[in-house]
Amino acid sequence: MNDHPELDDLREMLRGALDDRASSERVRAVLDSPEGFDGALWRTVADLDLTGLLVPEEFGGVGAGLAEISVVLHELGRRVVPLPFISSAVLAPTALLAGDNTALAAAMLPALAAGRRRCAVVAGGPEGQPDPATWAVTAIDRRGHYVLDGMAGFVLDAPDADDLIVVARGPDGLVVAAVEARDADVDAIATTDRTRRLGTVTFTGVTVSPDRMLARDDRAIAVLSRLQSVAAFAVACDAAAVAERAMDETAAYARVRHQFGRAIGSFQAIKHKCANMAVSIETSRAALSLALDALQLDEPSGAEAPAVATAKAYVCDAAVTVCTDAVQAHGGIGFTWEHDAHLWLKRALLDRALFGSPSWHRRQVADAVLPAPSAYLS
Amino acid sequence: MPDMQTRADPVADSDADESVEQFRTRVREWCTHHVPAGWRATQADADEDAEIAFQRQWRDTLRSGGFLAPDWPTNLGGSALPLAKQAVLAEEMARADAPRLSAYQVAIFNAAPAILHFGTEEQKSRFLTGIRDGEVWCQGFSEPGAGSDLAALSTRADRRGDVYVLNGQKIWTSWAKHADWCIILVRTDRDAPKRRGISYLLMDMHSPGITVRPIKQATGAGDFCEMFLNDVEVPVANRLGPENGGWQVAATTLASERGVAIMELAERLHRMGLRHLIDSAAGWTLDDGTPALSDPVVRERLAGFHGEVQILRAMCRRLIDAMTGGRGTGAEASMIKVYYSELLQRLMDFATELRGLPAQAQYPLILSAGWESGSWLGDFLNSFGWTIPGGSNEIQRNIIGEQHLGLPREPRAPGET
Repeated sequence: MNDHPELDDLREMLRGALDDRASSERVRAVLDSPEGFDGALWRTVADLDLTGLLVPEEFGGVGAGLAEISVVLHELGRRVVPLPFISSAVLAPTALLAGDNTALAAAMLPALAAGRRRCAVVAGGPEGQPDPATWAVTAIDRRGHYVLDGMAGFVLDAPDADDLIVVARGPDGLVVAAVEARDADVDAIATTDRTRRLGTVTFTGVTVSPDRMLARDDRAIAVLSRLQSVAAFAVACDAAAVAERAMDETAAYARVRHQFGRAIGSFQAIKHKCANMAVSIETSRAALSLALDALQLDEPSGAEAPAVATAKAYVCDAAVTVCTDAVQAHGGIGFTWEHDAHLWLKRALLDRALFGSPSWHRRQVADAVLPAPSAYLS
Repeated sequence: MPDMQTRADPVADSDADESVEQFRTRVREWCTHHVPAGWRATQADADEDAEIAFQRQWRDTLRSGGFLAPDWPTNLGGSALPLAKQAVLAEEMARADAPRLSAYQVAIFNAAPAILHFGTEEQKSRFLTGIRDGEVWCQGFSEPGAGSDLAALSTRADRRGDVYVLNGQKIWTSWAKHADWCIILVRTDRDAPKRRGISYLLMDMHSPGITVRPIKQATGAGDFCEMFLNDVEVPVANRLGPENGGWQVAATTLASERGVAIMELAERLHRMGLRHLIDSAAGWTLDDGTPALSDPVVRERLAGFHGEVQILRAMCRRLIDAMTGGRGTGAEASMIKVYYSELLQRLMDFATELRGLPAQAQYPLILSAGWESGSWLGDFLNSFGWTIPGGSNEIQRNIIGEQHLGLPREPRAPGET
């Protein structure tokens, strides 16, 4: 079902561009290459203005919104495309636009929009945890300059980044700063999902001048809140897309694969697995539409958080189930390296773990919709 | 028989300029004045006759407000509300914990849509008027030998002049004891392939030759029935759709109306299921004496259900929108049914487990409370009343696999189509 008919042109354009340039063969060739990242496709995506979708026109972008982004993420996700799109085209612009350093935004956004520079966002703990209480990256105020120290793990797209936007624990709360990636130590992590690149980022006395500070105090909390919501939504869009692809391919296989003299899709054991996938996909779409509506509110109040957290938890859980069933329904061929089913499952598993586990997100929902636990402690 | 004189229904959407939010305000206001105070308490002790009387009374109240037939066209006494206002009506009725028209379920969600879609002008006028005036309908589809394989039904209808003569047995005909009319599937051609020999009739339950016996359900309630037909005459004029075209009539209307029906049920699951569970659980403790809602695992489970209920509500609107806009694949209603019924079942199961032994004490199921009587264990048992009937969830998964994903049908026995 088509959620945004007005975005059909964008969707069609993407399909035309990606069917050739992001085929399964092409994706696999990139995964086997030392770069692990498709530079040619990145140029194409930039030439199509996709890297500038969220960037306002005055900074060289398109000035579109998250609805358009969700369409792009869907088409990229279906093809498990190895690109740093979420970090550079979604999270970095979101952080720059949510901060209060207009000059810094004006300096960085045009290069991001054009795809000339790539930016990763560091806002997690040593194991990528979303809760700032776990974080190890600190910022010390030294006569107006901040000095960054500490390590953040499993940072999405860090190995391919030119710039880093860092949310760190400052002396009196959070601070958000921009640094060049070469000022930090970035080590790529060999992850099971090879369609995405994660890295360990270590800061050792990295000095940030005041003009590179994006936000402090309450504003920094607002930046982090927006970043986490948008990140959760983006990765949920990706997971839903991967799951949809897995469903489509499984149904197609079940229509043609014959055993016992008939198509295996005629057996209820397989048919009902596929039907469960369809229900999961439809409910995931409903969850994403609620999250998108919440994120598009003109004045976010924080009330949008439960809808986004629900989407992240529900969709990512569902995607792992769908992709697991896809491997199973394909039988032996689904467990081979040459079949794409393992790419979908691994990406769904990474999506589930990125930017907060389903459990963490459900606990956010609990705190929003239930009385506080402290109400029961005497 | 209910009072058959025609009365003009107030038209709820008389002012098409009324915004959705103005409509919401009007419904909310209406509910504060018309939903009977404390009805759950009084209905908890009610016997079956008192339950039926209460249902009739609430139906009349809804009708006086113009809310009995929100989706019907105005020339047939409906309010022709657009989907957005139907959704608001469902939300507000759930919010006010209005009684549910359980005894009129078949009349409103099965008989009326079938008659609206396939009826002649005479049939629409006669039967829709009757439904508005309070006739109770039951559904005679299943048979002892035709459950999930509904098309295997063998109740025969032999044509003699301008009547059909019916012989056979129907089962799971809820409300047959109290029903005035029955939508019934019968075999009118025993030589044709099984789906092509079925006709859809509107049978007067007061006809001679009908014997109804109640069947006690697993919950202890007795609204299930079996029905024996012995030379029952039904006028040919009471056939809906063409002779031997009954399968299409049943299949079309079962699917098309399920979405709207569940939109209302989703709102009730949100309010009287989930929210009521959270409010109730605020007073419960776990085995170690700690308050249930202070426990992180309990909180996480409840948050998961909260999310799923919101997803169900959104899914209903999206899929109904797709169906009415002709963008569906035909399997949307099946997906809604599967997700709703299993969510209801999972939620009630969780509530029963969380409540612990006190959930084992018997509480009355309240007819007018629908699927959320407040008795967690009873509501859990009752949820099979959604996962099994109307095409079991296994049959729905076949429909989803075949219509939505293009999977091949199961092999048929020789002679089947």
